[in-house]
Amino acid sequence: MARQRVMVVGGGLAGLSAAMKLAELGIDVDVMSLTPVKRSHSVCAQGGINSCSDQTRQAGDSEWKHFDDTVYGGDFLQHQPPVKEMAYWAPKIINLMDRLGVTFNRTTEGFIDRRRFGGTLYKRTAFAGATTGQQLLYALDEQVRRWEVAGKVRKYEHWDFLGPVLDNHGVCRGCVGQDLVSMEIRAFPADAVLIASGGCGLLYGRSTNSVMCTGSAVSRCFQAGAKYANGEFIQVHPTAVPGADKLRLMSESARGEGGRVWVPRTPQDPRNPRDIPESERYYFLEERYPQYGNLVPRDIATREIFDICINEGLSVEKGRQCVYLDLTHIPRQELDRKLGGILEIYEKFQGVDPRVTPMKIFPAVHYSMGGLWVDYDRTADGGLRSASPTNMVTNLPGLYALGECNYQYHGANRLGANSLLSCIFDGLFAAPGLEVWLSSRATAAAEAPASLFESEVRRQQACQQELIRRPAGGENPYLLHQTLGEVMTKAATVVRRNPQLRDALREVEELAARAKRCALADTGQWTNQNLVFTRALLDMFPLAQTILRGALARDECRGAHYKPEFAMPHLTGETTAQRRAEADAWCTRFDENNRRWLKSTVAVWQPREESVQLSYEDVDTSLIPPRPRLYGLVGAALIEEVWNQRVTAQLARVP
Amino acid sequence: MAENHREGEAAKTFDVRILRQAGPGQASYWERHRVSYEPDMNVISVLQKIAAHPRTADGQDVTPVAWDCNCLEEVCGSCTMVINGRVRQACSALVDRLLEQHPDEIELRPASTFPVVRDLVVDRGRLFQALKKVTAWVAVDGYYDRGEGPPQSQEEQEQLYPLSHCMSCGCCLEACPQYARVELTRGVDESPEEFVQRQAETYDRLFLGPHAISQVILFNSHPTGRHMSSLRLDALIAEGGIQLCGNAQNCVAVCPKDIPLTTSIARAGRAATVHALRKWFDV
Amino acid sequence: MERRPVAASTDCRPFLARNEFLIRRLHSLTGLIPVGAFMTVHLATNASVLDGPATFQRAVYQIHSLGRLLPVVEWAFIFLPILFHGLLGLVIIRGGMVNTGSYPLIGNIRYVLQRATGVIALVFILCHVFHMHGWFHSELWLERVVEPLGGGRFRPFSAPSTLGAAMQGGLVIPALYAVGLVACVYHLANGLWTMGITWGVWAGPQAQRRANWICGTAGVVLGILALSALYGAMTVDVPRAVEIEDALYEARVTAHKLAPNERKRADAERTGRGGSRVE
Repeated sequence: MARQRVMVVGGGLAGLSAAMKLAELGIDVDVMSLTPVKRSHSVCAQGGINSCSDQTRQAGDSEWKHFDDTVYGGDFLQHQPPVKEMAYWAPKIINLMDRLGVTFNRTTEGFIDRRRFGGTLYKRTAFAGATTGQQLLYALDEQVRRWEVAGKVRKYEHWDFLGPVLDNHGVCRGCVGQDLVSMEIRAFPADAVLIASGGCGLLYGRSTNSVMCTGSAVSRCFQAGAKYANGEFIQVHPTAVPGADKLRLMSESARGEGGRVWVPRTPQDPRNPRDIPESERYYFLEERYPQYGNLVPRDIATREIFDICINEGLSVEKGRQCVYLDLTHIPRQELDRKLGGILEIYEKFQGVDPRVTPMKIFPAVHYSMGGLWVDYDRTADGGLRSASPTNMVTNLPGLYALGECNYQYHGANRLGANSLLSCIFDGLFAAPGLEVWLSSRATAAAEAPASLFESEVRRQQACQQELIRRPAGGENPYLLHQTLGEVMTKAATVVRRNPQLRDALREVEELAARAKRCALADTGQWTNQNLVFTRALLDMFPLAQTILRGALARDECRGAHYKPEFAMPHLTGETTAQRRAEADAWCTRFDENNRRWLKSTVAVWQPREESVQLSYEDVDTSLIPPRPRLYGLVGAALIEEVWNQRVTAQLARVP
Repeated sequence: MAENHREGEAAKTFDVRILRQAGPGQASYWERHRVSYEPDMNVISVLQKIAAHPRTADGQDVTPVAWDCNCLEEVCGSCTMVINGRVRQACSALVDRLLEQHPDEIELRPASTFPVVRDLVVDRGRLFQALKKVTAWVAVDGYYDRGEGPPQSQEEQEQLYPLSHCMSCGCCLEACPQYARVELTRGVDESPEEFVQRQAETYDRLFLGPHAISQVILFNSHPTGRHMSSLRLDALIAEGGIQLCGNAQNCVAVCPKDIPLTTSIARAGRAATVHALRKWFDV
Repeated sequence: MERRPVAASTDCRPFLARNEFLIRRLHSLTGLIPVGAFMTVHLATNASVLDGPATFQRAVYQIHSLGRLLPVVEWAFIFLPILFHGLLGLVIIRGGMVNTGSYPLIGNIRYVLQRATGVIALVFILCHVFHMHGWFHSELWLERVVEPLGGGRFRPFSAPSTLGAAMQGGLVIPALYAVGLVACVYHLANGLWTMGITWGVWAGPQAQRRANWICGTAGVVLGILALSALYGAMTVDVPRAVEIEDALYEARVTAHKLAPNERKRADAERTGRGGSRVE
């Protein structure tokens, strides 16, 4: 048999960790990336990477608690075995990254320092200043370069993934890519294709995502028949710095290191924030969530900031929505050591020193919890079977999805500092399974009939020709993208309402139709960015529809998906008995809601109708039974008590 | 700032002059675009506007300008270009500041030290080749779990972290007077693989640049990385090595990440000399 | 997988390429030792003329006490190192470019000045050696070429007077010397600073700033020394210097420190025309 190869699409943390691990296993790897892999979006991750450590263990932490926090933070919408496996791998992953030379911050004694992140009570997060993603990615980039020199890895940088190549049995046998310099389109026979192309923040126009996070690679797989799950779960990060071209992330670590969020009690108080006395500041997160304070999970922090600005009219500025994120009480030296990177970003782009003046921040679209549907191989004790080719494979055999672009770990809401973990875990864990997959194949993709690849190349060339030949004067792709972003941001971010979602869906369909009449300003055959962008735009519509349809259908509140119409009530009864009755009703409603909605949304693209078909899949919650997510709810203690009584009673009934 | 008065409404605009080039080996030319002013713009948002409406200041429809960018927050290193005569990241080049320096006009050029691919896009492959030349990685045994990494003091971490910040943007190389431009073209009877090989060999003979020298210090200071220090020092004293530094110190002045490149160069110089002496007299 | 030969043993690349590091380090080293050191001694010796012709003449005698060994020392420690440093410097300059237009930074300007002063210094030194010594000690060459062009003016046994005569009678030559000397001094002082970086003596920015002061001070001192020597030469009282030289000569001959040399006297009379040049 000819030598087998694996194609990795995307050179972020997930793609590179897969590439290096595959190379170590002796497998030849190709890495295709829109940009030199060192410039992938993973560099933007700031705050850190989670794992329990020897120190947190002594404070009562464990891998199980990390797993529990992740599941609870994600509102139980994730299959638990992969999450459990990831949490148990986490300490090992941090050790590995440490060995690879990641410059994690250190304690005085020389151990890896940890900070606290949202949604947990433990200081679990290892960090390298405020550029942890960059540092982790560089370590992997270096390792992959090492394998490149050794001849095991070939990089195709400045290449665009145009789609998988499927044989008659629906097995993925490679992919088609385009050189973004010469515009050459060619096929890459591969015995497995790993999609590790990250998120799709560009659907929202401006987000915290890099400009290459268009979701195009995922969308092309989706349109080729791969399932897409939980699309409606889009994380809106509570703290970002608004900008004309991008909403720049202001890491959760700013709050992890003691940053406080507040607004003046007087709306649009014109005074310098430093002159506003404590008594006239409203530290709304601390007041509303005494236990977690500024470190409530992201979906909650986001909604509160949104609520303070939109509903209570307490935005710091009149014309623009924002609240203060205040670090000025922390010593400058400590700030520089632990948060230097992000403070520099703020200073550079806003021209204000955040060590002296509180930052002005507002939520921004940040992360897609949803992604390509992938499978997993469960062991009896609820973990993942290692070296199983079933892990992380999409519904198309041979096509895998890793990192942000799969839906596996974060449920309805991702906890901070879990994304870096999930990306690296995916790459490392998937590789041995791929080795088994390759050895199970009877023939190498390189021996597959050439016609299989040729026809796909011809199809892509024809698509491109059609785009290029469109008459001038058609729709402007950049303006369409802007409109799409506005529609999506309005309808499918923090607060969702069915009428708005319905309108948005209609508008997106209209935009998609208009996009078919897009005309290119550049019809050349050399570094045609206009063409590449337009093609990515066209591929945004299926994902936009998936997000909107999923959101419209899901009549409940779960994690990042918040529909006020279906919000669970606070307890308002005056007497204990009344409140107890309310709590009882609350628990019953919670139970019923879970029976209806504790399900993954699974979308399938229907090419003929150019629409999305949804179905629902049960979630494996066998390890940690779902329980109410009660951060900050009035009457939380009582609901918890009632809930626990019910669980105990249920357990007693089970023989 | 130019103010164009049209029927009573004042629209603030400014001009952007861009040095364009359709492809390698083609002639470059200047093109002027007029962009309407908005607050909080940076050079990327200017280029985005131009891409959306590719029309010159004198009303000619043209192809959109090509440029590189990704993160837009100065951590990916993509958008290196020469703005008003100085190399920097386009994303952090704020229009307000640029117009304070040069009212009315912003000038954009591709980095001159790298071959132009198209317009503002350049081929920085040589920069990454240097990272291969200096073995810029920690050669761990493998990726199986082997427990914690070597302990490190806070002080060590604080020395390594800034060096590890290098995003391979190439600003230092553009400003370096010792880093001469080299542009190779593929021969008629040369396969792509042969061409890549020839490119790598050529690059290896030329100055490797401050970024790579600094990576040598980074990895030679790492507790495990230092196991391969003599291999890295071999690269430093090979042809195209550290000896070609002319101490102009532009690198450190233009580095967007404030990496102490000249400190690394001095330390690497010392280590290289000791290494060379040891090779002659000790082995 | 890491072991790649960086420079294979059967390397057929040119000698310069293969030994680039060694050669560049030698270039850096020769700038200080012996070239810089010689220049310092030379300037100090010449500045001694300010103390009177006798001090200067004695210093020259001191140097010439090496006798037949002197040419060997001169070639090994002065001429060849200067030629090596200078000619290689020209090669180095070819490998760089000027971009002070875009980057008018102090370090960059100093980088350009280092190269400019290097070229000026090389030309100056060649002219200076021609002007004073005529390059080669061949009678035919000196009579037919050097002397008609106004070179070969210096006579070691009549050091102050011949020096004075060569530097007097117009401001063009002293002005050119001033330019040359300042270039040499800058090149040495700034070269000392960059050498400290090249060899890793001062690494961090603070250390480099401190070194800047040290090298700057050394440069100013050397500059004062150089201009003093020039001023001294310009203000030598030639007839009186001849007398002093003769007296010193006689004393030395009497003390058997010097073999009598008839042409020496003739030199003195004609203040530097004809006579012995071979020392």
